[in-house]
Amino acid sequence: MLTRRDFVKGGVALVSIGTTAQSLLKGAVAFAAQNSATLVDPENKKTLVLVQLAGGNDGLNTVVPASDPAYRSARGTLGIAEEAVLPLAEGFGLHPSLVGMKGLWDAGKLAVVRGVGYPGQNYSHFKSMAIWQAGDPKMELDNGWLGRTLEKLESEEHDPFLGFNIGASTPDEMRSPRIAVPSVRNPEDYGVKVGGKLGDPAHARTATMLKLYEQYPSSSPYGVLLETTAETAMSSSKLLQEAASAYTPAVEYPDSSFGSGLSVLAEAIVGDLGMRVGHITLGGFDTHNNQATGHTGLMETLDGGLTAFYQDLAAHGKADDVLVLTWSEFGRRVEENANGGTDHGAGSVLFALGNGVQAGLYGDAPDLSALVDNGNVPYTTDFRRVYATVIERWLGVPHAELLGQQWEQLGFLAA
Amino acid sequence: MAETTPELQTNRFFERPTTRRALLAAAVTAAAGGAGAAVVGVASRSGGESTSPAGDDGEAGEGLPPQAVETPMPDLERPIEDPKRWAAHLLRRAGWGGTEAEIAEFAGLGRDEAVDRLLNFEAVDNAALDARIAREAFNLTTPGRGLDGKRPPLIRDMQRWWLTRMAYTARPLEERMTYLWHGLLTSQVSQVGVQAAKQMVRQNELFRAHALGQYDELLQAVSKDPAMMLYLNTIESTKEHPNENYARELMELFSMGEGNYTEDDVRESARAFTGWRLTRQSRERPPEGLSERERAEWLDQMWAAWEPEFRLDPRLHDSGNKTFLGQTGNFGGEDVVRVILEQPATGRFITRRLFSDLAYRDPEEQTIDGLVEVWEASGHSVREVVRAILASDEFASMRAYRSLVRSPVEFAVGAVRGLGIETNWPTIEQSASGMDQRLFEPPSVAGWPGGETWLSSGTFFGRVNFLDAFLYPRGRPIAIPALADQPTPEAMVDAALRILVDDDVAQGSRESLYAFAATVPGGPERAAAVAYLVLASPEYQLV
Repeated sequence: MLTRRDFVKGGVALVSIGTTAQSLLKGAVAFAAQNSATLVDPENKKTLVLVQLAGGNDGLNTVVPASDPAYRSARGTLGIAEEAVLPLAEGFGLHPSLVGMKGLWDAGKLAVVRGVGYPGQNYSHFKSMAIWQAGDPKMELDNGWLGRTLEKLESEEHDPFLGFNIGASTPDEMRSPRIAVPSVRNPEDYGVKVGGKLGDPAHARTATMLKLYEQYPSSSPYGVLLETTAETAMSSSKLLQEAASAYTPAVEYPDSSFGSGLSVLAEAIVGDLGMRVGHITLGGFDTHNNQATGHTGLMETLDGGLTAFYQDLAAHGKADDVLVLTWSEFGRRVEENANGGTDHGAGSVLFALGNGVQAGLYGDAPDLSALVDNGNVPYTTDFRRVYATVIERWLGVPHAELLGQQWEQLGFLAA
Repeated sequence: MAETTPELQTNRFFERPTTRRALLAAAVTAAAGGAGAAVVGVASRSGGESTSPAGDDGEAGEGLPPQAVETPMPDLERPIEDPKRWAAHLLRRAGWGGTEAEIAEFAGLGRDEAVDRLLNFEAVDNAALDARIAREAFNLTTPGRGLDGKRPPLIRDMQRWWLTRMAYTARPLEERMTYLWHGLLTSQVSQVGVQAAKQMVRQNELFRAHALGQYDELLQAVSKDPAMMLYLNTIESTKEHPNENYARELMELFSMGEGNYTEDDVRESARAFTGWRLTRQSRERPPEGLSERERAEWLDQMWAAWEPEFRLDPRLHDSGNKTFLGQTGNFGGEDVVRVILEQPATGRFITRRLFSDLAYRDPEEQTIDGLVEVWEASGHSVREVVRAILASDEFASMRAYRSLVRSPVEFAVGAVRGLGIETNWPTIEQSASGMDQRLFEPPSVAGWPGGETWLSSGTFFGRVNFLDAFLYPRGRPIAIPALADQPTPEAMVDAALRILVDDDVAQGSRESLYAFAATVPGGPERAAAVAYLVLASPEYQLV
């Protein structure tokens, strides 16, 4: 019988999402399979930061086809005037609030992928999110696309920050039965407190508590999950506190949870914690009503946060090593609704941002005169082409196995 | 191992032919208006040896090769053997965990009697809770801090109010079901709007009133619930521009589940809910000459006084024919809900959800088959389905025992109930964020995903730091009546383990706890330290 210690000795922290020894055995098989793969470049230290725009971002009002008559007629009140958009190319312009992003476009650091979607668009937030997170519209692949990727990136050293999430719990795209991903919302609460203050991990009460986790058998219910959660928490807390003491932001981040979350990601990058994939979520994009105000606020938050993040990394000499990629589960319907909002849609846009990006517009522009599913933007670019590009050209891992098939990559990263 | 699962399942029912039949029998008696639980309990108590009064159902006991009987029962199919452990499990799942006395009392009851006692909560006097709630005088109506700036924040008090109910109710299953409905028929106070937050209290009372009623009545009622109508945009939907939000979530999350309807069904049913409105707030304007603060307070009081009622605005309602799930008619929203409730998919979806929340996740299809029969035979009675689940062999098996991760609410309320702590939850709002569960604010319309998502490095710290704050208000140990009088460190640790984790911990853990407890001065200091460690233990993170 394999024990949890056997796995830990293998240099890998394991998290079982199941309750039985069966899932441990599955983990062992996956571990053996992964160890035989030697295609990953150990020198590649590049970091991907994934930004989830949760709720379904209105791609049409983010990267605006301002001169398209079909757009103008469908967006009677929500349409953004041609003269108001920040022009990019081919008649497309950025939402007027994306001022910092426009600057990055002008500097050649921003790529836009248009018409992103997948066959058989699902209009449920949860299903569509799950599809993007799995990287598989058929939902046949195991775990999340980044969870599978992290398994390939896992090294003998086992960096607890290999994957790093800003938020309370592990996002589904980072789920893997073998990799525990630290989730941090507020670094000041990220540690065991004694008497209300972050305490010494060697404090007797804390030490006894950790002993209970060590003694809990991996064959017991949630055994691996419970122990690795506690272990990951303790080790990552220590590292993060060290990184925090060595990091001073070079810019002022916007006063929002998105802004402060990005600064924690920057702290981990600047502190060389070994992060290869970071994740942060900006929510509120389900703009069924009063979109003019709500979406503008979201664009400001996004722009302020990402611009500060880029500038901070650049000031710390890290901008060459970090790629930011946004995604959202779907776009919005082309025609606005009666409540000054838009309903769930299909194809949308995403951004890739960083010094490593080859700026420009990628993916064909969707034809707004040939809508699908009663008024939705047809997709032109399968989102898995974006994933394939990032997995292979940025993280340095062959993508076909991770995505279940070979995809034609896009040019926003150099081959 | 995975390939053998179907065979094991077959054997399981072959070996213990009573399980499925017990559920079926409950369906029959429930349909006849009788006490269904008796059948379930008698049938299932002793595993494979028992017989069911409902007789042989002819599919499990006959015609299978005899060697199947010889297959040993998989570990997880074993019943929870210790009656105290089963009682503690029942009290955790059908409530928030028991005290030592409650666990002992329920362990002495028969399975059906124990389940009945929880189910028939209407007869239980809850005056002590009512008095406590009245004494606390929580602010459950009025946004804003008031002219003197001293009014307690509405949303914080709503959370404290509900947690107080959970912690001190004499009807734990009533609060448990209210919580279950809040997680299923979800609204988020942030989306309903801080001004209208009290509508979430009204929704909560609706869930309590329908805790174990007919699901049809609950689903009809929640469709017209003000918080729900605000949350899912029903009140904005017009004939010209139907808003699909409610229609979609109604089918996807509240009844049938995805894959049982088409996008056309969403569009057509959305038309049926057009013109659904709420009566407005007073049309009075704030009087002239008020200062800005007085004006704000005037508006806050207006929101507090708002008691919206459902109304249909015929000018905004689409009264044309709709074709929905194969039926055509001049449907209103009530008809859409009725048609949805007629769908077999709804019974499967709701019974599966109830079973997954109360017993274990990923139940076998046969288990759900049995529950669906109860659902149908009882006219969609939640009470009968819950009765069948709680009294079932599946619920009493090791597959169910500690198979769920304790939610933060269960984590906190279980501590207060089990240890007999007095609190009005003064600091819960901050702690709830750290543990990642704020009542009235689930993360999305799909509710809390639960399960292993409750555990991350961040929420691990959230949990232990909640204990650090909660057990030491103002730096001093809180009174813990259930542990206070234990004479020795060992006796105190043993009591905490019995109450909180069924006296069932990993080898070595008890000794580690003894050793630490001996280093802490006796009295409240030691009680709080022991409580901290047992509540922080891996075992207590599970239910």
